[in-house]
Amino acid sequence: MVQQAGAVTAEDGAGRANAKSSLMRSPQFSSFVILVVLLVVFAVADGNFLSPLNISNMMAFLPELGIIALGMTLLLTAGEFDLSVGAVFALAPVVVMLLVQNAGVDIGVALLAGLLLCIAIGAINGVIVTKIGISSFLVTLSMLLIVRGAALYITQGFPLKSWDQPGFFVTLLAGSFNIGAFRFYTSLWWFIGLSLLAVYVLRYAKLGNWISAIGSNRNAAVARGVPADAVKIWLFILTSVLAGLAGMISAFRISAASPVAGTGYELEVIAMVVVGGTALTGGRGTILGTIVGALMLRAIRNGIVLVGVPGLAYNIFVGVIILAMLILHALLQKNAARS
Amino acid sequence: MMQEVLRLQNLQKSFGSVRALKNASLTLKEGEVVALLGDNGAGKSTLIKAISGVFPIDRGDIYVRGEKVSIRSTREAMDLGIETIHQDTSLAPDLSIARNLFLGREPVNLKWLGVFAPLDLAKLRDAASALLKRVGISKKLDADALVSTLSGGERQSIAISRAMQFAAKVIILDEPTNNLGVEETHGVLRFVKEMREAGHSVLLITHNIHHVFEVADRIIVMRRGEIVAEQTVADTDLLTVESLITGADLSALMKRAQ
Ligand SMILES: Nc1ncnc2c1ncn2[C@@H]1O[C@H](COP(=O)(O)OP(=O)(O)OP(=O)(O)O)[C@@H](O)[C@H]1O
Ligand SMILES: [Mg+2]
Repeated sequence: MVQQAGAVTAEDGAGRANAKSSLMRSPQFSSFVILVVLLVVFAVADGNFLSPLNISNMMAFLPELGIIALGMTLLLTAGEFDLSVGAVFALAPVVVMLLVQNAGVDIGVALLAGLLLCIAIGAINGVIVTKIGISSFLVTLSMLLIVRGAALYITQGFPLKSWDQPGFFVTLLAGSFNIGAFRFYTSLWWFIGLSLLAVYVLRYAKLGNWISAIGSNRNAAVARGVPADAVKIWLFILTSVLAGLAGMISAFRISAASPVAGTGYELEVIAMVVVGGTALTGGRGTILGTIVGALMLRAIRNGIVLVGVPGLAYNIFVGVIILAMLILHALLQKNAARS
Repeated sequence: MMQEVLRLQNLQKSFGSVRALKNASLTLKEGEVVALLGDNGAGKSTLIKAISGVFPIDRGDIYVRGEKVSIRSTREAMDLGIETIHQDTSLAPDLSIARNLFLGREPVNLKWLGVFAPLDLAKLRDAASALLKRVGISKKLDADALVSTLSGGERQSIAISRAMQFAAKVIILDEPTNNLGVEETHGVLRFVKEMREAGHSVLLITHNIHHVFEVADRIIVMRRGEIVAEQTVADTDLLTVESLITGADLSALMKRAQ
């Protein structure tokens, strides 16, 4: 009976006998298989794919989009999404660095200001979506324009001059360390830690039950006393804050803040999430799937360069693979429903 | 002897220019089953949504056990002991039966963590199985099955067992036998009787007058947002009730025909 293992509930199934088969049919599992296949294909096609340098490179980029994808997964599970994350990714570091470089504000205070800005953006998104009842597509699309426009305007369109003062916060967000021949950034720890937290919340905590219920049938959740609007507003805030955090990590890593950073990230992040098996319509979310999705998109972007696909043709491949994944999920789900 | 549990006084509710409720008043006593009848659009669902905190009323007073209350949210209604099973399905299809049964009242460990507290999954599953057994549907259903895999009747049974488990003072059922098979329908009616015997009050909305005569003590009829009649079941008959609902004087018609 428990065929759609994609749902949060499948893992605590008492039907141990079919737990294995339900896992095999789950969307995150099929994504995982495809990820492995892709990794093998790239590794065979190009010997450098699994080289320490290349793996280190992939692991440097992975957390930046991956962290946003965690927030987006929770938001999508609750039935909403956020198109303004790419713009927030740019605005937060731009504001922080302007405050430090031009206004002489202490970096800690500037980061706090950046955090408050992200909270405000998320709260505005959430309040308009829930209290005024405009779809999150329209609200966050407008917010994308406002936030991106603000980043461009306050910088006059120029990237900020480089940031070369190491310090506690830089080490905390973008410090690096070596393990053998591999070079990792502290952002990887952030991604791992936040992932564990997100898995816990969505699958095991009371809040996760609420999030899934809200996305599955909002009226039913409200009728049971679940504060649906408040949960959604907090998820919008969380997603914005994570986008800002990712932006800071990226800016510290490359020692610069650009007003056009993160352009198109919103769609890339949503692609990671749905490729992992989270339903765009809400109710069914999987953090493990999102991690697989984030790894997959990272590997694809990296791998197709190595195997020699012309740069301008990247997106064709990325699009085709995403589409193939979604078709696969849909077919699997149809199958599950029939049997 | 029969204590008053719920009293509504002059409730009013409009949706834009639609006056869905105009001055609706009623009382519900302990251990009493009251049937709320009326044609489509009469305002029955609006009335019970107001009591269960789905939306605020425009005007009027609600008393629970003689005390004036204001019900601003579904949570407040539940805390006052009012459990409602809504006409439009009240389950989340992507969640398991067990998770639906405890939605909003999840058993948790480490309570101090608030919304971040971990669910007590063992307790959740055991309580759900026990409950399904009690309602008599455990043979067919696994507490971990997703609600999306259930039939309409099975879903209704789940919603009803959920109201049962929290043993509320007042249970409101909005067309609970809709889409149900014969056996499940009898299950629901049996449940209503059980609730009365246990001292709970039931407000039952239905379009099936036969069910009313089987389980209800009292009948309240609504028409166009108003309560137009109130009768004890013992003092009335099917024909009278039908004419009250439609507003046509059927019994007079019948007499003329004879
Ligand atoms: N959310 C709403 N917005 C606008 N109008 C509404 C809303 N809910 C109900 N109404 C209107 O209020 C009136 C009463 O509706 P209600 O749902 O209470 O009827 P009902 O007695 O439950 O009918 P039924 O037997 O068909 O369920 C109807 O005219 C309906 O169109
Ligand atoms: Mg109704």
